Amino acid sequence: MNVRLESIGLTTVAIPEGRLDFGAAAGFQAQLEQVLAGAGTKPAGVIIDCAGLDYVSSAGLRVFLLAARASQRAGLAFAICALKPAVREVFDVSGFSRVIAVFADRATALAQTRQPA
Amino acid sequence: MKRHTAVPSEAAQLPVLTQFLQEFWSAADLPPAETVTFELALEEIFMNVVMHGSPAGRVPRVEVSLALQDGRLTLMIEDDGPSFDPLSLPAPDVTASLEERRVGGLGVYLVRRMMDAVSYQRLRGCNRLSMTKRIREPTP
Repeated sequence: MNVRLESIGLTTVAIPEGRLDFGAAAGFQAQLEQVLAGAGTKPAGVIIDCAGLDYVSSAGLRVFLLAARASQRAGLAFAICALKPAVREVFDVSGFSRVIAVFADRATALAQTRQPA
Repeated sequence: MKRHTAVPSEAAQLPVLTQFLQEFWSAADLPPAETVTFELALEEIFMNVVMHGSPAGRVPRVEVSLALQDGRLTLMIEDDGPSFDPLSLPAPDVTASLEERRVGGLGVYLVRRMMDAVSYQRLRGCNRLSMTKRIREPTP
């Protein structure tokens, strides 16, 4: 799985592409930890744009859960957006869409996370 | 249509099994929207076997088969590792808050919710998990 990072104002957008399965989970987790640690400048918010994410398993859900929790503890806004149907289904069945903010697209997620935490 | 494969119970074999499933999907010309349930079941159950069962000095063998009949697809995963019924895992609390949320047992929970039927048997020293779902034809 490939992950691109973009900075938009104080928000960091992570864009995972491909399959977030057991094999990809550890690498993605390490990348998100780096983003959250701020690598110099602390992001005011983190958005994971899933428009290119084709698949997620429970190993991938765990990474989202840990990142959401770490963000909450650090006082950062955290949101995910643009879920494809296969990923959306796994988020819904697991109940994760009730504890993690999920938005239809990146623009909406950005508008929401810009508000002061 | 039926296909069968076997791999050692090692995490590195997951991509091999995923490819096996994807090839079956293309060969049987099944609707792409239905793959997620089976890809997920294959990963969750196979990784459970990998995590739960390696008696000292021996890597269990995992047999995977797919059978399509009368619009129903059955995925069967069998391993000769230690006796373990994944269906005996307690269901996770999917209403817990962000702080209290746990991922243990979530994989098997997803499989049970997304498949139509799931059953476990301990048979001749093997664990056998059978999962079936009706495959919806895409509306033309």
